[in-house]
Amino acid sequence: MFRNTRVLPGFAPTLGFTLLYLSLIVLIPLSATVVKSAGLGLEGFWQVITSPRVMASYRLTFGASLLAASINAVFGLLVAWVLVRYPFPGKRVVDALVDLPFALPTSVAGIALSSLYADQGWMGAGFAALGIKITYTPLGVVVALTFIGLPFVVRTLQPVLEDFEAELEEAAASLGASRWQTFWWVIFPTLLPGLLTGFALAFARAVGEYGSVIFIAGNIPMVSEITPLLIITRLEEYDYAGATALAVSMLVVSFSLLLIINGLQRWSQLSRL
Amino acid sequence: MSSTLTSHIRTEPTWIRIILTMLALLFLIGFLFMPLLLVFSQALDKGLAAYFKALLEPNALAAIRLTLLTAAIAVPANLLFGISAAWCIAKFEFPGKSLLLTLIDLPFSVSPVVSGLIYVLLFGAQGWFGPWLQEHDIKLIFAVPGIVLATVFITFPFVARELIPLMQAQGSEEEEAAIMLGASGWQTFWRVTLPNVRWGLLYGVVLCNARAMGEFGAVSVVSGHIRGLTNTIPLHVEILYNEYNSTAAFAVASLLALLALITLAAKSLLEWQLHRQAQSRAND
Amino acid sequence: MSIEIKQIEKSFGRFKALKSIDFAVESGELIALLGPSGCGKTTLLRIIAGLETPDKGCILFHGEDATDRHVRDRNVGFVFQHYALFRHMTVFENIAFGLRVRPRSQRPPEAALRRKVHDLLNLVQLDWLADRYPPQLSGGQRQRIALARALAIEPKVLLLDEPFGALDARVRKDLRRWLRRLHDELHVTSVFVTHDQEEALEVADRVVVLNEGRIEQIGTPESVYDHPASPFVYQFLGDVNLFHGRVHEGEAQIGDARIIWPEQSPQDSAVFYVRPHEIDITRTAESTAAIAACISDIRTLGATVRIELERSDGQGLVEAELARDQFSTLALTKGEVVYLQPRRLKLFSTVAETTGQ
Repeated sequence: MFRNTRVLPGFAPTLGFTLLYLSLIVLIPLSATVVKSAGLGLEGFWQVITSPRVMASYRLTFGASLLAASINAVFGLLVAWVLVRYPFPGKRVVDALVDLPFALPTSVAGIALSSLYADQGWMGAGFAALGIKITYTPLGVVVALTFIGLPFVVRTLQPVLEDFEAELEEAAASLGASRWQTFWWVIFPTLLPGLLTGFALAFARAVGEYGSVIFIAGNIPMVSEITPLLIITRLEEYDYAGATALAVSMLVVSFSLLLIINGLQRWSQLSRL
Repeated sequence: MSSTLTSHIRTEPTWIRIILTMLALLFLIGFLFMPLLLVFSQALDKGLAAYFKALLEPNALAAIRLTLLTAAIAVPANLLFGISAAWCIAKFEFPGKSLLLTLIDLPFSVSPVVSGLIYVLLFGAQGWFGPWLQEHDIKLIFAVPGIVLATVFITFPFVARELIPLMQAQGSEEEEAAIMLGASGWQTFWRVTLPNVRWGLLYGVVLCNARAMGEFGAVSVVSGHIRGLTNTIPLHVEILYNEYNSTAAFAVASLLALLALITLAAKSLLEWQLHRQAQSRAND
Repeated sequence: MSIEIKQIEKSFGRFKALKSIDFAVESGELIALLGPSGCGKTTLLRIIAGLETPDKGCILFHGEDATDRHVRDRNVGFVFQHYALFRHMTVFENIAFGLRVRPRSQRPPEAALRRKVHDLLNLVQLDWLADRYPPQLSGGQRQRIALARALAIEPKVLLLDEPFGALDARVRKDLRRWLRRLHDELHVTSVFVTHDQEEALEVADRVVVLNEGRIEQIGTPESVYDHPASPFVYQFLGDVNLFHGRVHEGEAQIGDARIIWPEQSPQDSAVFYVRPHEIDITRTAESTAAIAACISDIRTLGATVRIELERSDGQGLVEAELARDQFSTLALTKGEVVYLQPRRLKLFSTVAETTGQ
């Protein structure tokens, strides 16, 4: 019930070690980056992060991430629903494999997706016949980002669906609601916080993704070049200031997303009480 | 109560169920099963001999060694951190706790490329400590220490974020009982706390290890891609692939895919254990 | 060992959990801390144990100040409300824990340790469960194992937090008698916390009634029950009827009834407390002290019968309790008008008590 710092030992050393380790590994390097970018001056900083090539990379990175997260929101809901509600053979294996994008190293995912969706690939050949090119186009970026964001929506919705009270649905049915009305008015509102959280998590992961994208994207400047790759390009050109400025702009986005996600998670916890 | 379909009221007509299940499976096949299958099929495309040749080639072996070394440092370091953070956060009340929790999660939200970059900016030739390190002839970036550092950063939260909620849910009564019976702090930790969180701990370690061995973006920035010296397995895959040595690339990739499958299996097993443990607690 | 609690105060943030608590526990005594949830009883117990630190005041063990002594050195046995058994250890290992964690020099040899654990298991009559794990035990068994574990370190003081709180009604009754017998055998100074007045009255030598962080009354079960010091204690210890009336010219007036009330100071609005089983029911008004009422409901509860009556003067409902025999002799029926005569009335604030005529 109440905690007491006197009874259990080890508060000071564990907190001390935690803070020290956190500072050394995370906080100091991150703030060093921010401080370093300040050396550029506001105008220089602004120039770097708004140059046409950078703007094009933003458009691609955020656009593709948004699209991929939306695909994941729709199909993630579908997959979570099917996994929780419908029995089918091999369900446990399928359920375990949903986490593959978390476990598979991104470079492996990158080369696999790139070969799979190439014009002669198993999947790509079919799309090529329809005149749709996937590899080395922005579409390829969307494919890679959909892959890596896939588990988020499924895994945030699954527990909500599992805990969903049968009585609510039965009550709705007894009041004369059709199955679709029950879903739309009773079930879906309960899922919404989790759905948005999963969407935001998938989006945040997609924005920063590098490994799985670079193999399939083709990395053509102004067309299929994502912002993380541009940072590496700057670094290879020994343009440290430029790389830092881009990194800081991405950090700002990541932290804003982190705050939004924290808020969403608090909301979904509240609505599950 | 959970997934059992107790009444027809709670489910859809059969044809809708079949269509929805098919759609979901099709999506998963296109995005999950096919890529996985493709890795193994491409790896074995030119036969077993070519497969093992790619794996036993000296540069591949060096990459495997470096990956194992990196994980062997990063995982225990983050394990120690995770236990320490979980102890002070779950067992004590102090101001600023929720801020600390957010900061621990921070590395998850940072792009892998940026995660590598921050160490380059600190320890690289042009970095804050660059001149000092050069004077003393210490090389961190484009060398093994940089790879380890970036990996530690990337896998930083894994153990802590598994342990903290678990230890919070278990409360402190058993620890208090142990202390009242005369146990010291260490005795309490080893004999009471650790056995209670062992599955969660292992779960965190498994995930942490998978990521440590598979990290690509962050390591790519700090590695310098020196064959046989600073290449981890994921980086080796990239080099082989970019040299159009597709079979070798997929052969080496299949190792990582295998690791991923083992990780998933261990994860499912541990989740089942954790679920059982939580249920037996809830039933008390 | 005696325990003295002196001027203890404790706040959690702005909430005052305990306000200057002051009492003493004699050596060998069994004391109940009784009160509703949130009254501070568990906090007080945890302060005695050393699990919580008081903001003010001190705790003396055997005359020595123990306020700053670490829990480990207090030699206190503590039984947690939810037992806090180590779930990954067998029952045997749970009980042996306190002996195994001693410094090497004080640790008993294995054979002596086994003997001691089995003695304790015999004491709680559960020797056959030695190799089981806590999740395999019933609530009552866990409770007794938790007690055996606490006794293993030969505590000078035994503290129990809601020891029967999580048990079924039947097991509860058996266990509390068993605990009382065990205490008579061991004579360890014991303090237990409960919100159940029956439990406190049945088991304890003395009862400390707490409310909103204050002590309302301390005394033996009989004195607390028979002479409650405040309306709170009266109401907390049993069911109660309230009669509104006044005290005037040596009479208590409730509606039309007049009851002799020797207390001099007149009161225009007084509240009289009467327990349901301290009300007599008669068919005819035998004196001016009777209150007319109509029976609205009759419920038989085993050996007693509860009768709900509506007062004829419209002043609300009254509950009376009769023994089964008495009820069948009277042969009361629903809808009948009868007369109520309180045998004992309690009036607070004027500190007067009298028996009806």
